[in-house]
Amino acid sequence: MNKVLFFAHLRDAVGEEFLTVNASGKTVAELKAELSAKYNLPKMETIMTAINEEFASHDEVIRDGDEIAFIPPVSGG
Amino acid sequence: MNERYSRQVLFPGIGKEGQAKISSKHVLIIGAGALGSGSAEVLTRAGVGKLTIVDRDYVEASNLQRQQLYTEEDVAEKLPKAAAAEKRLKAINSDVKIISIIGDATPELLEDLVVGVDVMLDATDNFETRMAMNDVSQKYKIPWIYGACVGSYGMSFSMIPGKTPCLNCLLRTIPLQGMTCDTGGIISPTVQMVIAHQTAEALKMLVEDWESVRTSFVSFDLWRNQYTSMKMSKAKFPGCLSCGDERTYPFLDHENMTKTTVLCGRDTVQIRPSIKGELSLDRLAGQLNSLGYTVKGNPYLLSVEMGKERMVIFQDGRALIHGTKDLTHAKSIYQRILG
Ligand SMILES: [Zn+2]
Repeated sequence: MNKVLFFAHLRDAVGEEFLTVNASGKTVAELKAELSAKYNLPKMETIMTAINEEFASHDEVIRDGDEIAFIPPVSGG
Repeated sequence: MNERYSRQVLFPGIGKEGQAKISSKHVLIIGAGALGSGSAEVLTRAGVGKLTIVDRDYVEASNLQRQQLYTEEDVAEKLPKAAAAEKRLKAINSDVKIISIIGDATPELLEDLVVGVDVMLDATDNFETRMAMNDVSQKYKIPWIYGACVGSYGMSFSMIPGKTPCLNCLLRTIPLQGMTCDTGGIISPTVQMVIAHQTAEALKMLVEDWESVRTSFVSFDLWRNQYTSMKMSKAKFPGCLSCGDERTYPFLDHENMTKTTVLCGRDTVQIRPSIKGELSLDRLAGQLNSLGYTVKGNPYLLSVEMGKERMVIFQDGRALIHGTKDLTHAKSIYQRILG
């Protein structure tokens, strides 16, 4: 299983700080698409992903036990 | 070394030598809103040699809650932020050479201003300018420090050309509907936390303590009590058009910029975003409604009353700003809402 953490407006949209899902074998892009559809999340292409606190690209494959965090870049300043 | 900087000189990371370096360096700050006014004050007090600050807006009442350089008088006089900032910064430290530029930070202006600059600080409110800063940073080999915040959520990342990944490696494209302070609100402590990260990094770079520069991407939520630090050692993208071998600096190209035109015979400016995509008009309407704006719409467009002006936003991101002929002002209104 995998713990998936959400930040900023994603957390509001999902309604939880984290979810536990089985994402093993999926790519980051696949997991994004799945969550985006399930929770009606805004576009996730430019949301950064960390796997075990390390930057991960869209095609990186998630392994069992990996912790995933979705970090939306914001533009306010 | 005078008494003024004695406490900073006592700090082992800086010392006499570091202070001498700080006072010989030039920092360029793009934006004089919340982040820009805070960072400019920190660096002016720290005794940087020369500080250039760029901004296209004037001071408004809604700025005073967090933009620390400005006063009610500045609002009453509708002073440009860059001019109000210069006045206050000169009063804080007359040793520092302060240069203020009232204008839009276009790629052309950035390329002009960057000559002789040691560090660039990001204090803008939109990704188009950040991507241009990123390309300028790579082209002229000048480090820059990304910082941004919305609500209680903030982030920062230091980029050194040739050493770290760049912003284009991380995002690959400009986020179309970035969260901004005008759509998501903002509390002052979030601003201060981002400023603390950006200016600490700037001081490390100014004293040339490159070993101490943070290599991770920091993000935090002060209300939800979260703090994350993402390692970036694998983030460099070999095919990156900004920092890769076949770089083209795409964001310095006029083709990839937001286009503004005054519509002939009308008090209206048209804005065309550089990136193609579909906005979520429902979500935007909800955000604007909750901020108290009067929003009307249909599935194709939203019409938003914004004081003197009215903005009509279409699903493809194009917008008409009615009630102004000022291109820079219109672009500022647009990017305040859409990032
Ligand atoms: Zn890059």
